[in-house]
Amino acid sequence: MPFEVPQSPKESRPSWDNPMQFVLACVSYAVGLGNVWRFPYLCQMHGGGGFMIPYLIMLFVEGIPLFYMELAIGQKMRLGSIGAWSAISPYLGGLGIASVVTSLYLCLYYNVINAWSFWYLFHSFQAVLPWSDCPVNSNRTAYLEECEVATPTQYFFFRETLNISSSIDENGGVHMGLALCLLLAWLIVYLFIVKGVKSTGKVVYFTATFPYVVLIIYLIRGVTLHGALNGVKYMFTPKMEQLANPQTWINAATQIFFSLGLGFGSLIAFASYNHHNNNFENQAITVSLINSGTSIFASIVTFSIYGFKATFNYESCLERMRLLLMNTFELAEDTVHIDNISFWITDLNRTQPEQIAAIASRIETCSLEAVEGTGLAFIVYSEAIKNMPAAQLWSVLYFFMLLLLGMGSMLGNVTAIITPLRDFKVLAHSLSNETLNGLVCLFCLLLGFGFTTRSGNYWFTMFNEYGATFSLLFIVLLEIVTVSYIYGLKRFEKDIEDMLGRRPNWYWKIMWVAVSPLLLISLFVFYILNYIQGGAPTYQAWDKDVVREELTQIRLGLRSDSEISCVNLCAYSHIEMTVTRKSM
Amino acid sequence: MWTVWTVWMVWMVCLVPTTSEALCTEDDGYKVRLSIKTALGGDAYEWNESEMFFFKATLAFAMRTYSGGEQYDVSNILVCDETLRVSFVFVVTKPSNTSELVPRTEVENAIKKSRHRINSAFLLTDQTLDFVGINPTLAAPIQYDTPPWLIAFGVVMGLVCAGIVALLVSTFLNKKRSKKSADEEEAGRGNGILCESIRGKDGLFNQGLVDDDRLTKL
Repeated sequence: MPFEVPQSPKESRPSWDNPMQFVLACVSYAVGLGNVWRFPYLCQMHGGGGFMIPYLIMLFVEGIPLFYMELAIGQKMRLGSIGAWSAISPYLGGLGIASVVTSLYLCLYYNVINAWSFWYLFHSFQAVLPWSDCPVNSNRTAYLEECEVATPTQYFFFRETLNISSSIDENGGVHMGLALCLLLAWLIVYLFIVKGVKSTGKVVYFTATFPYVVLIIYLIRGVTLHGALNGVKYMFTPKMEQLANPQTWINAATQIFFSLGLGFGSLIAFASYNHHNNNFENQAITVSLINSGTSIFASIVTFSIYGFKATFNYESCLERMRLLLMNTFELAEDTVHIDNISFWITDLNRTQPEQIAAIASRIETCSLEAVEGTGLAFIVYSEAIKNMPAAQLWSVLYFFMLLLLGMGSMLGNVTAIITPLRDFKVLAHSLSNETLNGLVCLFCLLLGFGFTTRSGNYWFTMFNEYGATFSLLFIVLLEIVTVSYIYGLKRFEKDIEDMLGRRPNWYWKIMWVAVSPLLLISLFVFYILNYIQGGAPTYQAWDKDVVREELTQIRLGLRSDSEISCVNLCAYSHIEMTVTRKSM
Repeated sequence: MWTVWTVWMVWMVCLVPTTSEALCTEDDGYKVRLSIKTALGGDAYEWNESEMFFFKATLAFAMRTYSGGEQYDVSNILVCDETLRVSFVFVVTKPSNTSELVPRTEVENAIKKSRHRINSAFLLTDQTLDFVGINPTLAAPIQYDTPPWLIAFGVVMGLVCAGIVALLVSTFLNKKRSKKSADEEEAGRGNGILCESIRGKDGLFNQGLVDDDRLTKL
């Protein structure tokens, strides 16, 4: 045997500099854009304060146990998702591959959101925010028609940011500005992960903590806005009847599930860099609670912004009505106030009904209804920001916070891909850390350019809504069933005792064995039923003429199925391969 | 003679107001609406005769500017249909012939040209001083040589690229340095095979089994 020079002991697995880095990395990954805009939207849809009840129940019943389990697997196996699941059972390498593929899909489209954040951030450095006014037409007589019918913020998002086409089939060209922003986003991701855990560990000190600074600043600004308390009041008045709606519970379960980032393999990857005896039990509980706490905190901020926006719209509506009445009936200015508009309308209806009838089409009933956040934080928030004093400052702060949240989540997503890849010795020896990371980023960047085309937003919506949901449920269900039954709860308990020095108590065991799997199965069944019942999948398309989003059918069902079938194929084919290999 | 002159005077005095009333219609002129209290709030001024005179004078100024010096006067601006809203209709008569009206389009162009001056005279804006039918010319968009977003982008991009280059270069230098020192260490190595076999296992690397401790010189 040739004399082989030993490598230095430093070839052992890299690890976090201290446990705090691990906790902050998990927080940075889990606390993302969904906390800021998805949770408040769900909260508002399902009865305000009352939504907390299903949300917290799901957190303790589903979220924390599954989070604990993933951290345990990662810390015990000290490998990324592919290696970890292969080590648990050779049939399950496909499960790890499925996780990696899902993470890959997520990486492709998630960084596009960061590209949008960059675009908005850079456009905030102007005297007048570009989404506050409509652009004028060529002879300066009126605003552009598309902008007039929609609002300036919608126009800025759909036309100037995305330059959206009318359907997913019309490709259009690549939007150069967005492509540049996407390039920048990937370069920054590369900068953060270039040295693996060593660089990620330092970055998360900032990405995990600074968003809270911004949120606090926004909280103070938000609750001092005119009309903000209307929104907060709306949030905290529970509508208990929503609890009877099964959709509420389903949405709560799904939100906890996705908010914690289960099933992507990121948690396993992060935990694989821990020391063997790291106390991940406390950390799991801490991170989950921080994540949910941030959701609730962010929704206070969001609701105060919503309240401000709703009040602003309400008062603008009243002002328009006042002007209409004054102009039609030649009333003196100080006789009509916004408080006595309804009195005037009833009075004039009695005295001059024909004239009221003539303007009836222009009379609006102004009401202080909650603004519906369709999840497009770029439209709702930017509309609220443009009406604040010193709008540029608030805009910069807000989009910088969105960037940090998004980047933090991207760290986890990319680590979930890179860690299993590095576990393959072949790759680890032939390519250095930096090169492998660079290749992964480059690959995702090139594919991601597809999302910056004119139809890119439709692809994004499809990936977002249909790409991951289904397969994630499948993955996590398989994970918990594997751990509880195939690997065996006894072995799992022993592993945990080995790492922590104590066995998990009865609560965790009941959750892992019975409650969580049942919950996941019911969610899974629900999604399948919904999918079958829902007919052909649809997406909202921007109709340039009608200037509104309209429901359009996806012509080829292939795209929505591709990910699921890929995942299934990957899992099953690998299972088949391992079975054949074992039987040989 | 004197009687004829008196009758003619009486006829003129009676007829001119009716003539001017007949001239002042919304079809031939423009309706104006002022929203003073909305614009100025507490600092709003009272709309009275003097203000109306000022308005007529401003319009006459606008006509003079547009027509290039034709001697329009306050008497050429006829106003009617005044309401409490503070809205009224006005028409402009030609200075040469007071019974003939200036065409609407000319009046419109004159007002468009001097719109900013008229607004400022009354401390109002395009929205609060409303000429019904004359759309305000919107402010031209600001033209930049370089779009400001590109500048911000360039700054951030430059910093990020510099950071990446710095990190890669430092890693490369570190590797070269450690490789050089590893080459120097190799001379004293023994028992390399045992190291190889347990190299992959993390945490089980037992220093005691490897005879590479340079410090234990016998």
